[in-house]
Amino acid sequence: MTAASPRKSRWTNGLFVGPYLLVYLALLLYPLLAGVWLSLHKADLFGGEAFVGIENFSRLLRDTVFLQAVRNTFLFVLLTVPPLAVIALGLAIALNRPTRAAAVFRGVFFSSSVLSVTIVTLIWRLVLIPDGGLIANLLHAVGQPPLPLLSHPNLVLPAIALTTVWWCLGLPMMLYLAALQQVPAELYEAAALDRAGPWKTLTRITLPSIRRTIVLVVIIQCVLQFQLFGQAQLLTQGGPNGASRPIVLFIYEVGFRRWDIGYAAAASEILFGLILVATILQYVTTRDKAASR
Amino acid sequence: MRRLRAVALAAVALVLASCAKRDDVTQITVQRIFGECRSAGTGARNPDGECEIITGLLDQFQRENPDIRLKVNIAAWPGYDQLSAQFAAGDPPDLVTMHMSAISDYQSRGLIEPMGPGLESVGVDPAAFTRAAREGVTKNGQVWGLPFDNWAPLWHINLNQFRQAGLVKNGQPILPTSADDLLAQARQFRAATGKPYLVQAMANETASYTRNLYTWLMTQDAAFFPDPKHIKLTTPEAHRIVALFKQMYDENLTTKDQDYPAATSGFMNGDGGVYLVGTWMIGTFEAEAHTPGRPLSGGYAVVPYPRLFGTRDAAFVDGHAWVVPSRERTPAQRAAVYRLVKFLADHDYDWSRTGHLPAMQAVIDSPRFKALPHRQAIAPLATIGQTLPPQVQRQFAIQDIIGDEMASAITGRKPIDTALADAERRVNDLLFHLL
Amino acid sequence: MSALDRAAGRNRWIDRLGWAALTLAAVVMVLPLLWTVGLSLKANGELLRDTASVFRMPYTLENYGSILARPAVFRWLANSLVVSLCTTAGVLVLSSLAGYGFARLEFPGRKWLFALVLFGLAVPEQSVIITRHQLFSALHLHNTYPGLVLPGLAAPFGVFLMTQYFKAIPAELDEAAMLDGASRRQVFWKVLLPLTLPAQATLGIFTFLSSWNDYWWPLISATRSEMFTLTVGVASSQINFAQTSGLGFLMAQAVFASAPILVVYVFFQKYIVRAVSGAAVR
Repeated sequence: MTAASPRKSRWTNGLFVGPYLLVYLALLLYPLLAGVWLSLHKADLFGGEAFVGIENFSRLLRDTVFLQAVRNTFLFVLLTVPPLAVIALGLAIALNRPTRAAAVFRGVFFSSSVLSVTIVTLIWRLVLIPDGGLIANLLHAVGQPPLPLLSHPNLVLPAIALTTVWWCLGLPMMLYLAALQQVPAELYEAAALDRAGPWKTLTRITLPSIRRTIVLVVIIQCVLQFQLFGQAQLLTQGGPNGASRPIVLFIYEVGFRRWDIGYAAAASEILFGLILVATILQYVTTRDKAASR
Repeated sequence: MRRLRAVALAAVALVLASCAKRDDVTQITVQRIFGECRSAGTGARNPDGECEIITGLLDQFQRENPDIRLKVNIAAWPGYDQLSAQFAAGDPPDLVTMHMSAISDYQSRGLIEPMGPGLESVGVDPAAFTRAAREGVTKNGQVWGLPFDNWAPLWHINLNQFRQAGLVKNGQPILPTSADDLLAQARQFRAATGKPYLVQAMANETASYTRNLYTWLMTQDAAFFPDPKHIKLTTPEAHRIVALFKQMYDENLTTKDQDYPAATSGFMNGDGGVYLVGTWMIGTFEAEAHTPGRPLSGGYAVVPYPRLFGTRDAAFVDGHAWVVPSRERTPAQRAAVYRLVKFLADHDYDWSRTGHLPAMQAVIDSPRFKALPHRQAIAPLATIGQTLPPQVQRQFAIQDIIGDEMASAITGRKPIDTALADAERRVNDLLFHLL
Repeated sequence: MSALDRAAGRNRWIDRLGWAALTLAAVVMVLPLLWTVGLSLKANGELLRDTASVFRMPYTLENYGSILARPAVFRWLANSLVVSLCTTAGVLVLSSLAGYGFARLEFPGRKWLFALVLFGLAVPEQSVIITRHQLFSALHLHNTYPGLVLPGLAAPFGVFLMTQYFKAIPAELDEAAMLDGASRRQVFWKVLLPLTLPAQATLGIFTFLSSWNDYWWPLISATRSEMFTLTVGVASSQINFAQTSGLGFLMAQAVFASAPILVVYVFFQKYIVRAVSGAAVR
């Protein structure tokens, strides 16, 4: 018998997945488990650790700064994910046509996605600051006073969210476009024959056809935006007084400024837990719906 | 696939190429803050800025010592995130700038080495340091850094606007002597000029708030660090200071919502009368005062914080030092590091042009230093300057907490006493959990 | 006017409104970029006084000249390229192999191992970063190219994508090829791999972009300026005090740093769109 039958189970077949699994185990799973272990210790960045059980976790739940960071993170996800999902969808529907103009627009809306977070914050700092920023200059032109977009606790998260939406719009739009191109043209022809209006076509044909993609976009964006770091670190350093500090920035500060890596690891586990729960929830709810269809 | 292989090969080649540059030249890595300012254009830059001076000095050392190859890492202020990551990775630089207030953090973990023998080997005697500088780098009877300067927050004054407000007498600014006095003068200033009295970096900023608090707690002789593990901020002394700033804020007697760069350019653009910022801006503002047609033209003065509270003259000071991280070095590298240390010690005067107080007593006493503008006005800092207790660890993290809470109180988002209590609790919690 | 005409008229009107909205959105999108380019063309001294001077003459290229005086930027650019290309190549190779293995071959523990990989999808990068930093310290991998590339290879998304893709290819294809006497390796190389090109392109583009834009890991791993990636390098000059006087320069740096990837994007836009659409065929 030659080795040709792929259905036959042999361990040598596993060699194909071996290289990846090695990297995966060493660089993702091991750090994850080591992190769980570390979170049960009082540990210093420069050595020395002592087992403290769940002390780090109970300390986190009493830490107002951490709780504020958790709240900020959720708020930020709420401020970014729905606009990203909806605006990108609108753009994709509008630009899903083979004209040259549509191609140019697609390029415009995707262009910001290729910039790195440092450039994005560099640009947006100069858009947002009240002293000589773009928005302040525009407001000034219409006789309005500048807005303290980076220093007022109620404005700072929306400002970072705006920056993020501007930056991240391209990817979901592309995913939607890809999905839209898979919708069979016959469906639209049938709708046109039925004299369905644009609204009806949208809700009866377009949206149901790309439902899976919508779910995918929401899940991807949730996972991404839960991990907000660079924008907050570079634009506000989490200020004023923690009003824009996300969980990841908290982890960074505790780990690399306070050197309290056991505590930072515990916060990392909570972040992991939150994302895991959010992902599973979305997965389960959408699967149930799909099954009932 | 062939392209893929080419890419991989190119990458390997690049890695090898960067490792292969080994010759007789001794290489050391210097890490510093102070920014990057190499510019193609000429003239526009200020020759007395921190960045320009340190860039020039390191360039000069490199020119004069061709047997040493200096690799300069420029870290973002204050530089400790990067440094901590480097220490954690076991790959720190050979010489690095460090605030005196941060030395105890690294010294207590054995991350930096005592410099006494090294300094002696190149003939730098700690006895030549000023008192403040020597105390700033000495822990447990050993010297842990080469002091480069002492600095303090100061009142930088736009004399042109002060004159307009009637606050100049005999060419000198009239300064307040109490909190009420300050409010009265600030209102007078506002009425006359239409501008706020204070220019402050208040957004995305913590250091400046905290320095204000420290200075005026010191003038009141408040023992706000009863021991290095505890802070005490729920006091009338602290309340008074924060209340004054809140009052100034509420009455629009200060600029608002400016971050550090905005406040700095704002002061140069005539946004207000007094800018609360450190010694390092003297050179920059002095250059501005000599530029015709600018708000500061011919009208710039600088003084230590006036004593608004308490009975003692005091000023919070800190300083920059150069420290040597512990790591393996060849004798040649060690010699190169200390040759650079010696060079920096010898050029302390050049560094002091930026506005900092020199770390070498001989420089302070020298006529050329005294001939620099405004140095007489800030000379008292040498005697009234005071640091936090040197055993207090994590002074930068503490500064962030206090500044955050003060900002909340001053902008009216938290009652003053709540903010101070929160700051106290958070700082004590931080200090309690130090391993 | 017939009902049909009225409907067409209404549609045209909606269309116009739509284009107006689109144009407005595009302006909002582009304005920050134009603002940046404008600032980069002004003398620093002038910006210090008033940023609104952007809307007036004179303009200058002086800031771009200053970039040439600082070769560090070129080094960062090269580092970013090396890291992103290596990461992309590595991810493509590992994911193709593993995807084929999981989708087409049988070996002990296959289901169990695939579930393990799927579990990894829910693990955020940030939550393993501290222990990963310790691991790389122990292995002396910081401030090296492998240190910057390896973490990107562990992400399970590529394996997941490729497995799905291989599964979607009818099994009859490889069986037919094998009947023709092709070996397992030939089937993989000659038959299946070419069919996965759209997925490879998608995965490649996304991997490249996310590696190019990565911030936290290079921030704590590449701590020597000669190993900075572009992201970290630009961040280092951004936080520095130099900002006060060098606004125009910073903006020129931003333009300079984003130009290469924007140009690449403009050139390959067509393929990128096609690749993304291709991957969604499933």
